[in-house]
This record gives sequence, structure tokens and C-alpha cells, in this order.
Amino acid sequence: MGSYEPVLLKNRGVEGSCTLKVHRAGGGYAGAEKALKLSSDEVIEEVKKANLRGRGGAGFPAGVKWSFLPKDREKTILCVNGDESEPPTFSNRVLMESDPHMLIEGIIIAAYATRSQVAYVYLRVEFHEQFHILQLAIDEAYAAGLLGKDVLGSGFDLDVYVHRGAGAYVCGEETGLIESLEGKRGWPRIKPPFPAVEGAFGLPTVVNNVETLANLPHIMTRGADWFQSIGAGSSTGPKLFCLSGPVNRPGCFEGAMDMTCEELIYGDDYGRGMVDDVGVKAVFPGGISMGVLTGDELGMKMDFDDPRNFGLLGLGTAAAVVVDVETDMRDVLLNVSRFYSHESCGQCTQCREGTSWMYRIASRIAMGAGRIEDLDLLEQVSGRMGMMPGYSICGLPDGAAFPIRGLVQKFRTEYEEHMGRQRDGRAEAVLRVLN
Amino acid sequence: MAKITIDNQEIECRDGIPVLQAALEAGWDVPHYCYHPGLSVVASCRLCLMEMQLPHPKTREMGWAPKLFPSCQTPVKDGMVVRFDSGAVEQNQKACMEYFLLNHPLDCPVCDQAGECHLQDYSYKFGESESRMHDQKQVNPKKDIGPQTLLYSDRCVMCTRCVRFAEEVSGTEELCIVNRGGRAEIDIFPGIPLDNPMQGNVVDVCPVGALLDKDFLFKKRVWFLESGDSVCPGCSTGCAIRVDQSDNRVQRLKPRYNPGVNEWWMCDEGRFGWKYVHDVERVTRPRLRRGAEMETPAWESLGEIVRYRFEQQVDRHGAAKVAVLLSPMMACEEAWLLAKFVRELAPDATIATGFVPMVGEERCFPVGCNADDAKFVIRREKCPNGRGVELVAEHFGGSTCDFDGFVTKAGEGAFEAVWVVGGYSEEWVPKALATSLAKIEMLVVQDMFESALTGEAELVLPACAWVERDGSFVNHAGLIQPFERAINVPDGARRDGQYLFGLAGFEGLYSGARVRALMAEEMDAFREIAEAPRQPAHQH
Repeated sequence: MGSYEPVLLKNRGVEGSCTLKVHRAGGGYAGAEKALKLSSDEVIEEVKKANLRGRGGAGFPAGVKWSFLPKDREKTILCVNGDESEPPTFSNRVLMESDPHMLIEGIIIAAYATRSQVAYVYLRVEFHEQFHILQLAIDEAYAAGLLGKDVLGSGFDLDVYVHRGAGAYVCGEETGLIESLEGKRGWPRIKPPFPAVEGAFGLPTVVNNVETLANLPHIMTRGADWFQSIGAGSSTGPKLFCLSGPVNRPGCFEGAMDMTCEELIYGDDYGRGMVDDVGVKAVFPGGISMGVLTGDELGMKMDFDDPRNFGLLGLGTAAAVVVDVETDMRDVLLNVSRFYSHESCGQCTQCREGTSWMYRIASRIAMGAGRIEDLDLLEQVSGRMGMMPGYSICGLPDGAAFPIRGLVQKFRTEYEEHMGRQRDGRAEAVLRVLN
Repeated sequence: MAKITIDNQEIECRDGIPVLQAALEAGWDVPHYCYHPGLSVVASCRLCLMEMQLPHPKTREMGWAPKLFPSCQTPVKDGMVVRFDSGAVEQNQKACMEYFLLNHPLDCPVCDQAGECHLQDYSYKFGESESRMHDQKQVNPKKDIGPQTLLYSDRCVMCTRCVRFAEEVSGTEELCIVNRGGRAEIDIFPGIPLDNPMQGNVVDVCPVGALLDKDFLFKKRVWFLESGDSVCPGCSTGCAIRVDQSDNRVQRLKPRYNPGVNEWWMCDEGRFGWKYVHDVERVTRPRLRRGAEMETPAWESLGEIVRYRFEQQVDRHGAAKVAVLLSPMMACEEAWLLAKFVRELAPDATIATGFVPMVGEERCFPVGCNADDAKFVIRREKCPNGRGVELVAEHFGGSTCDFDGFVTKAGEGAFEAVWVVGGYSEEWVPKALATSLAKIEMLVVQDMFESALTGEAELVLPACAWVERDGSFVNHAGLIQPFERAINVPDGARRDGQYLFGLAGFEGLYSGARVRALMAEEMDAFREIAEAPRQPAHQH
């Protein structure tokens, strides 16, 4: 693979990268200008041709999503999903910090394509600085005639508002986000009606991830063919990868989706190997929700399709967290299950009760009082949750089930070894105390 | 009508209703918590999941889809094929029941809901007898959320029916969900109690023992209750209710499903408005003046005495001096019997309709809606049968008048022999009426409590409470609704209908249906109801 020329992060580290001046100097807003000269259907066609798959996690083609909007709609709402609540993901944050105008340009293109006159950027509440950076950029764009009435002299009107959440994982789910945007409790909605038909404030709504939108200006300027030339198969275009854990160079990297997980960890352009050259025991390659790889499975391609071959849910946010051989997998299990137990919205029974039950089992295992049957129980409980088998309204429980089931299945021998080393009768003693 | 197939059985159902509703109506016992036909669908308890046939994405061949669907959220479609008797569905039900009980305190022995609890019933039918969770339970607190209601959130299954009720039906929005995930619980907003005229319904919609009625709390195990289908006498809406009694005492009232009238609901005024039934001050024996003395006549001799004394008055003053005041608290049948008796004795007698208590304004729910959009109305006319006694008076014709006219005429000395019916739970006699009727020769008062009139009466007859009688009420919209007797009359008393039946010249036992059949011969309005009583299906 040749050296990769960054597109999305090209302005990272450039002095004043958040300003309109620097963005314009790098050819900024040319994509928006080009899009506004086309018809909205032509823009959608171009995006469909590029096969821009959603970067938020599910990888659904953005152009197809837009074409679900009813043809005879009067108003459309564009929601920009900047909730970025998946641990350990921070690519949207980096994008908004380093080049907020790229996002704004993407918003203009998407809003024009979907005929939305209003866009809401939903930011997680923890993004304090990013909020100010983005708001400043939006103000700047308004002043320059890039937003508001008559965008770039095209006759198209667009207002952009930044809405800050209140700190819930589930508000990154599109209908949870819409509810939260409306000022309600962030509970995902039952579908149908789908947001494209009846979303925010009862209007047809499109929800797109920040990174997805940031790709639009480049598709407009360089064309769908260029986009298709990066990466391979159905996973094309520039992609941001996050890497964290005990690697030499953790951070957010841009690359094509034809690299393996191993390259992401060891590649010179990326992680540059593990600290002190310790071995890799496990990797959560797509944010923790997608599931877990063992150290032997690092050959997995970081694209939309290969993860399925390794028992993962998908590429997710392409945010890999590496677990080294020194780590006790009981702690990993505890940490993962604690997150979902804390973040389950509490609507569907299987998720509400299942996640907190799994957390309680995991805590007991971590305190050295696990039983072999707890592992079976974890597998069973995680097997009875999720949207795909129909047990829930949203996809959060799928994201809870995959990593926990993956951990139990792929690291079962380790858990069993720990339990074997427990003092006899320890589990029963602890259970007696708990009850 | 749509035709759908459930578990290989084809059924017909109304278009557009959820599959769950269709299945329940066709007799399937599909477990569910969050679904309630009167509330919006949230599909969150995930207990009613079913399998459905869908076309294969490639071959378009119909086959079972590899996932489950919430039957509450899926509307019926002609030709649809679903099933509940599959392994996947049953496995989900089993798993769900285990989840619902994970943190449940299992305190059925001290829980009011025990015996009519959907957690008990479904666990027994669909669940396992043992929990596999041995860790510490999440214990949510018990809360006093309002003057009439307690919330034991440790028993809650988070179906959110109560929250939706307060949002969508009462419109008062006192309830909310706080916290997230397994720690989520129902709560009120700080300092704002659940206190609205409809709040008792949250206890009814609660499928488990989380919401409790303080009025009924720890009063009776529900399996000791016996029920009578009745109609609320609190106002002219005429809510269908169920009177739950035990040991001849009313324990509580619950609404019955009654489409177009009260649907699934009733108001607190009606729900808690029965306490007067067991008031010790009630008139329970007849009382007859003989000379200066008052004595208690035997019920058997009463007919003769009344007839004799009325005949004397007719002879002395003429039939036009006789009047009867039919109370809107009476059943139509009783009013008809009394009017018939009086008119036979004195064909020119005046038939007056009684005092109609009017209090405040009509109250529409959800609060703030206008009368056309109201899901429930508490009416200002605080009696159940104003329309019914008017119908009876109209039927008999001749000299009739309303209550105001009656008071005026009585003040003018138009009557010498009057039969007054009360039956109100509160003081109702206007002073002017008491003064003018004190002067007449023959006053019969049929009432539940002593009043300014009973002291002046020649004959006092006990009026029984509606739960002790049977008959029918006609509500504000003209709908005739029969009600059953739920408890026996107090010792010494006799049902109004029974003694009026005898006076009107009939023999044997009174029953509402029997009198309705007689009325139907002469009154068109009662023909339909006598032939096919309106029996709204019970709907969970």
C-alpha cells in the first residue's frame, strides 16, 4: 500500500485550521458551490454512485437513506449526529476540532440534497470546546453568506443550530437523538414510522454522522470515481480510525479501509506497535459495541464486511481499543458490562434487566467469586437481547450482547482458569453475603 | 374486516387494530404489559412478541421471518400469517418473565394485587419457578405519590402505562420516569403529587402491584371479593363499573369497559363516592304515624296501609291533589312502578321529576381539551337517571312538572297527598318545600337519610343505595344501561323495587329485567334493551 494522502484530516495541525480563511485556502466550499449548481437529485445520484456508507456505525449508504424521504414532502430536517458516544471513539471530535468548516460544507451539501432548510447538529454535552469551535465556525459561515438566507447566492436557505445533549449513550441512536432534540427523554422510538417519514417534530428527517457529512465536499469536488478508488470492494473512501490502549502512538488516523487491524496497531503511519512490545491479547476493533478480536485474529480487514467473519457486529466506528496480555479479562468484562448497564435507556425489558444482570455477574466474577455456570448464563442472557432478533426497539442491546458474548466465548478458558484458582466455596460464600 | 391466521387458525378482526388486540379478542392469552387498548403503543415490554410470515427478500416466497415482531405494534393486514405457539416466542416469554422477576421483591403475601396480578399469572403460565439470579437485587423505594395512591416501585415492571395515562387521558402529566436502565423508576415531579380527578385509574392500568389505592390498601384479599356489574350513580355520564364486595360490604369500585361512554376509565368522585352506602345513619326501616305515635309496620301489611290511606285522601280531596316526586336517583323500573301505582289510585295525580343536583362545570379530560375531543367527561349533573325519570314521566303524561314547578305548586297548596322520593347521599330538601309539605295531610317520604321532610312524614320508607338494587339508568345521552345488585339491603330494609312491585299490583319477586319486559310493552325506548341488554365485552 502506498502512502496515504489525508483528505479529511488534511488541515489537522495547520495553524488556524478552524478558520474560514484556512479552509478556503485549501479549496474549501468548492464542493458546496458545485453541489448548489446541480439539482438535489443529481447530488443524491453522485453520492449514491460514490457509495458513501454511513460512518456512524451501521454503514448504511447515505444516498440510499436520503432517497427514503417521501417525494411530496414540504419540509425536511437534517440532523447531524455528533453525539459520538461509542467508547473509545473520538474521530468526530478530531474532525470538528481541526476543520469545522468541512463539516459545515458537508451540512450544506446534505441539506441541499435532502431539501432541508434547517439542520441541527446534536453534540454530546461533554464536547465543550468542540461546541465553541463549531459555533464560532457557524457564526463565521453566516457572516460570509455560507449559511442563512440565499447560501452562496444560490437561492437556497439553510439555518444550522447546534444542540447539546445531556450525556446519554442512547442519544447517539437516531430516534433517541430525535427525541432528545425535541426536548424529551432520550428513548429510541418504535419504527415505523421511520425518521425519513416522520422524524424530528413530526417532519421527514435525515440523521447523518459528522464524518459521513465531512466526506461530501470531497465527493463533490473530486467525484465519485475518486471516492471509489480509495479502499476496495464496497468499503471505499477515506475513513477515520481511532486507536487507543497501550500502543506507542494512540490517536485518530485517516486511511483507506483496506488495511488490517494489525496494520492499524503496528503500522508506521498508525499505532507503531505496542508499548514495550508487549503482546496483544484482545482488540475491540470497532468501538466496544461491535465485539472483540483475540490476539490471533488481527488479520481482520478494517472494512464494512470482514468483521462479520470474525463474529463481530460490523465495522462500527472503526475505533480500536487494544488490550495487552497483562490485562485481566475479568476487568475487561466488568468494564464493558458496566457501560451498557449504565447506558441502557430502560425501555425494553431484555436490555434493561439483561444489561444490569450481566453487570452484576461480571462484578462477581471480577471479585473472584465466579461460577462456571455464570459464563453460560452470560452467553444466554446476551443471546436474548438485541434488535436483530426482535427483542428490542433500538440497536443498543445488540451492541451490549456482541462484546460480552464475544468475551465469554473467545476468552472462556481464561475465565475458567481464574475460577479454577478461586478458593473452594468462595463463590457460594459471596453469594450468601449478597443475599 | 380483515382475515388473519394465528397459530393456523383463521380469524376475522376489525381492520387496523394491532395483532395483539385481535388475538386477545379471539381468545388467545398473549402475555403483555405495556399494551393497553386505551393508551398509545410503546412496544417496550417485548413480552407479546410473535413470529410473522414475510416474503423472502430474494425469492419472494412467504416464510417465517428470522426475527420476532411485537404484536402490539403490528397492525393486522388481510391475509397475514402469525404464530404465538413457536419455540422462539415461548422462549422469549420465558426469558422476559425471568427478567421481570429479577428485582421483584416476591412479596405476594403482603401485596394487594396478589390474585389479580399479571406478574403472578404470567409467571405461572409462561415463566419458571426459580430465578437464576443470585446476586443482590436492585431495590427501588416505596413512595407516597399522592393523597390516594402509593407507588411501590420495587414491584414495578416499567410498562409506563401510568405515565401514558397521565399524559394522554387525564392530561395532567404528573408522572414521569427517572433514572436509566435497571435503575429506572416511575416518579412524580418534586413537590407535585399525583392528585387529579382521574388518578384512581393509574391503579387500574397497573398490571402489577406497584400502584396501590390507599382506600383499598390491605382491606381485603381479592379472592374474597364478589362482583356485580353496575353503573356509577355519581353523575349523568353513567360509567359502567364493577362493584367488588365481600361480607355484604362494598370494598371498591372498578371501571368496566364501556365503549362510547367511559371506555376503560372512571373518575375518583365515583370511585370513592360509595362510602355513604354503609353509613349507620341510614333509614333502614319503614316508619308509620298512627295518631301521635310512630311505629314500624310489618312490610307485609304496608301495601294495604298505603293504599288505604291514599284512597282516603283521594276521596277527601280528589285525585288532582295527589302528587309523586320521582327522584333521578331511582332506577327507571322503580320510577315506572311508583308512577303506575299512583296513577292507578289517582288518575289525575301529578308526576314530578325530582331534584337534579348540579355542581360546577362539566370537566373534560385530557384537561384543557374541548368537549368534542374529550376522552372522558365528569358531568355537572350529579345524578344517574335524570333522563330516565323524565322518560317515565313523559310516558305517563297528564299532569307532569319538573322539580321547580313541583316546589312552586306545593307552596301554593296544590297537593294534599304526596309521595316524595329522595335517595341522595347528601342533604337535598329545600326549606320552602319542607315548609309547604309540612302542612299537608298525607306525606310519604322514601329516602336514604333523615331530612327536614322525614320528620313531617306520615310514612317514611327506606330508600336503598344503588348497589343494593337492580334496574337501569338512562345516561345524559339517552343510553339505557342496566345494573345489577351487588350487596343485600341493610337489615330491616327491603328493596325499593320490591315494595313498589307489590304496590303496583304485581306478585312475586321484583327484578329489573322482569319490570323492563313489562315496560317494553308500553314504552318503545325499553323494547330493545329488554330484548337484548347491552353487554359490553370485558376488555383487559
